[in-house]
Amino acid sequence: MTLFLPSNPLSNRVPKTPQDFTKPNIVTIDVGGQLFQTTKQTLTLAGSNTLFSNLFNSSEQNNTIPFIDRDPELFSILLSLLRTGYLPSKAKSFEIQDLVFEAKFYGVQDFLVESQSNPSQFEAFDLEKSMILPLSGRDSPSAIATTLNGSVHVSHGSKITSFDWSLQRKSTILTQFSAVDSLLSLSSNVVAAGATDFSGLQIIDLEMGFVVKTLNWENVTKSGSTVQAIGSSPEFLFTSFESSRRNSNSILVYDLNDGFKVASEIGHNEIFGADLDSAIPSTKLNWVPSLNLLMASGSHSGPSGVSGNIKFWDIRSRDLVAEIKEKVDCFSDITVSDTLSAVFKIGMNSGEVSYIDFRNMSSDNSWNCLGVSRKAMNVKKEGLGCKIESHGNQVFCSKEGELELWSEVLMGSLTTGKNGKEERIFKQNVLGRSKDIGGNRITNLGFGGNKMFVTRKDQQCVEVWQSSVRRF
Amino acid sequence: MEDGLSNSTPSDRIKLNVGGKLFETTVSTLRSGGPDSLLAALSHRHHQSSNPIFIDRDPEIFSVLLSLLRTNRLPSTSRRFTDQELSDEASYYGIESQLKSAMLPNPLSGIDASVVATIRPASDGVVSAFTTIDDGSVWIAHGGQISVYDWNLTHAGTVRTHLDYITSIRQVTPSAMAAVACDVSSGVHFYNFANGRRVGSVEWTDPTDPRIYKARVTTITESPESVFAAFDSYHKENCVLAIDKSTLQVTSEIGRQSGSSSKSIVPGNLTYVKDLGLLAANAVTSGAFGFSGYIRFWDPRSARVVWETNEPGSGRSSRFGDSFADVSIDVNEVTMCKICSKSGDLAMADLRKLSDDPWIYLRDTNPSLRNTSGGISNSVVHCYKKQVFVGRDGGLEVWSRVAQNGEHNMEIGEESFRRNYMDKLEDSERGIIKKIEGAGERLFVSREEAEGLEVWQSSVFSGAVLVL
Repeated sequence: MTLFLPSNPLSNRVPKTPQDFTKPNIVTIDVGGQLFQTTKQTLTLAGSNTLFSNLFNSSEQNNTIPFIDRDPELFSILLSLLRTGYLPSKAKSFEIQDLVFEAKFYGVQDFLVESQSNPSQFEAFDLEKSMILPLSGRDSPSAIATTLNGSVHVSHGSKITSFDWSLQRKSTILTQFSAVDSLLSLSSNVVAAGATDFSGLQIIDLEMGFVVKTLNWENVTKSGSTVQAIGSSPEFLFTSFESSRRNSNSILVYDLNDGFKVASEIGHNEIFGADLDSAIPSTKLNWVPSLNLLMASGSHSGPSGVSGNIKFWDIRSRDLVAEIKEKVDCFSDITVSDTLSAVFKIGMNSGEVSYIDFRNMSSDNSWNCLGVSRKAMNVKKEGLGCKIESHGNQVFCSKEGELELWSEVLMGSLTTGKNGKEERIFKQNVLGRSKDIGGNRITNLGFGGNKMFVTRKDQQCVEVWQSSVRRF
Repeated sequence: MEDGLSNSTPSDRIKLNVGGKLFETTVSTLRSGGPDSLLAALSHRHHQSSNPIFIDRDPEIFSVLLSLLRTNRLPSTSRRFTDQELSDEASYYGIESQLKSAMLPNPLSGIDASVVATIRPASDGVVSAFTTIDDGSVWIAHGGQISVYDWNLTHAGTVRTHLDYITSIRQVTPSAMAAVACDVSSGVHFYNFANGRRVGSVEWTDPTDPRIYKARVTTITESPESVFAAFDSYHKENCVLAIDKSTLQVTSEIGRQSGSSSKSIVPGNLTYVKDLGLLAANAVTSGAFGFSGYIRFWDPRSARVVWETNEPGSGRSSRFGDSFADVSIDVNEVTMCKICSKSGDLAMADLRKLSDDPWIYLRDTNPSLRNTSGGISNSVVHCYKKQVFVGRDGGLEVWSRVAQNGEHNMEIGEESFRRNYMDKLEDSERGIIKKIEGAGERLFVSREEAEGLEVWQSSVFSGAVLVL
């Protein structure tokens, strides 16, 4: 999974005989008065348009040792990084900020990000609570958005605070929202933000600190359009809007590569009379790459309990491909895992995790409960406030302050269940050492880089969980 | 350092031997400290010899400073040294200005600030008055002493005055002189901070009026030429005296009044608005019937009142009975804001467009702050860097503008500001906020009966805490 591979790292490294020095392959550099020797190959790894590539062009021309007026110790660390792809342990005598700054100077910051916050280093079974990121003010986090390289944006009250991939730097901006309910990062410093009490989806540039674009849904009632959920695929941004009068809703598909132009509109619902069930707005949007479908799910609480639906949309033809109606033990939260080819939910009544394999969704669409299935008829709402998210090969599920990790156990031979269908085995374990278990109710779960981010009710901070390997 | 790679001739390179450790750098790096620095001077004389120049100083701290010259930022290794050591060493090499700019706090953003330090004078720690200077240094009056903390918040010295308890202090710029006063003994007194001596005193005297006797000073401010002090005699007769900075003599008397009603009591606050050339005064009293007071602007040359407002004003005003509890004037933005005593509302006015009712009452819908208005007996307001900081009892909040479409709309509208808590609940329990003042991207907060002065700053560092 590493994006860079040092090509045959040991060849041509150590000169065996003195005449090897004459080989143009070996480069000598003077950094701040200290001499370094390395190979062209190592330096070319940094890329074609960096300081290093200019370096040997000039040294070849006038046959002198190039001099760089920088700190030699920091250079030696970055040279090791180029050679091996990893930071040497002596880097720990510096702060990551020094390395980030120096790496920027040499144009090798991508290597640093790779070595420190690579998504391939995420290890679900080795996650431990490692860091607390404090937030200013008295507002608790309402939503989080993560990026692939492990930076995280947190909305708290009317503010959005961003932490960079090293989690050492932050910046805060003020928004027009009183609280952001949905937040999604579109690039390293652009987010889409929406709220259920605010009309329009805002595309905010966090670096500049202002709204780049506001997207509205022109609904029939000519009232405002609040945002119920945001999702994205590599090409599109999906937004579930509801009219401010709450009598119509729709999912808009915006083209990310074409200035947020509306690509299509799907699942437009309008409420006529009392048929409320027909027009539940989607509160969660998940893109399923392997199916090329958008999973849109929504629920509402009615006199007969909570009911909802899960719909799979083809965004090009705007066809409804499949639908799961949730009458009994409707989901409290839902997610889909592409790697596990399944939809996972937490039942509102049972509080138990269930799944449907989306490869063989049958007409009855029955859920496979991973816990005690008879709790489905519970009158208590045990699943209220629970969160479920999938990442990698695992499904993370929060119950109050506790975090559960569900993973599939591959048994070699297939087991067949009572109903004659092939049965998959998922097992659960509780995340964290005993001192880290529990706490206030978990309100958000996010994944980025090699880290997991957790926010809790009434806690003005973000918890960072990461693997112990290669942590700076 | 844009290109970093020096393609220049080796003669531009320079070797230094600092305390036995060899460094190699370029002439341009050494000269970036400014033409007058020791390093720049050294860079001029090396060319002939290839021998490194020997400097008999500590190599470790030099490597920090060399990094600073190369990158314009302090490396984390600088934390091995105290700020004092760094600034001493930087001044040896003549590069203090580089160090100063690298150590400067980030622009103050109220929505993202925290207490970075609490300045605690060693004795009489309860801050009775303080005044801030633009570079972020602060002069603190505690008991009868004045302590100065420099831009680095390092204690630069303490002067003992003859006063028992200083209640007003102001630095007389650009000199190292402080004007101090006390609300129980008379006059304004000038102390030279360099030698700790009193250099002068000014009393309010009027040979024609025997009631003007032992007048006390309630507040002090300054313009580029003068110091203004508000005097209050025992018979409540009051005025503002303009005192020439160089001679320390009274040049004029402004706005003398009898002090018989709340409209004519002595000002509790004076501000000089440089852009308009006006002196602003405001006074607030609270009695059985609530708060009352005035805001008045004078042209100090003619001693003429340019604009004034009294609260509670006429009964026609919709805000009758909700008079201000505190007023702050933003000298840079030429605006003022007031905090209403009853509703707790914040109102702003543009000083360039003063009319009968210039106030725009700011609205905020932040649900988490909804129940904090009203019922607060102590409100303090201070404008700094286009933000309004409000202390309500112990709580500290900030009103900041939302950027709209990339530009800050400078018109004041009812909804152009948003309100947020700046502090945590624990912070508010340290005591009632007495005074807030911003300078040098810092916010200084003093609390009643609490020792020390809080310093709030914004930082780009996340302050991540390891919890393993």
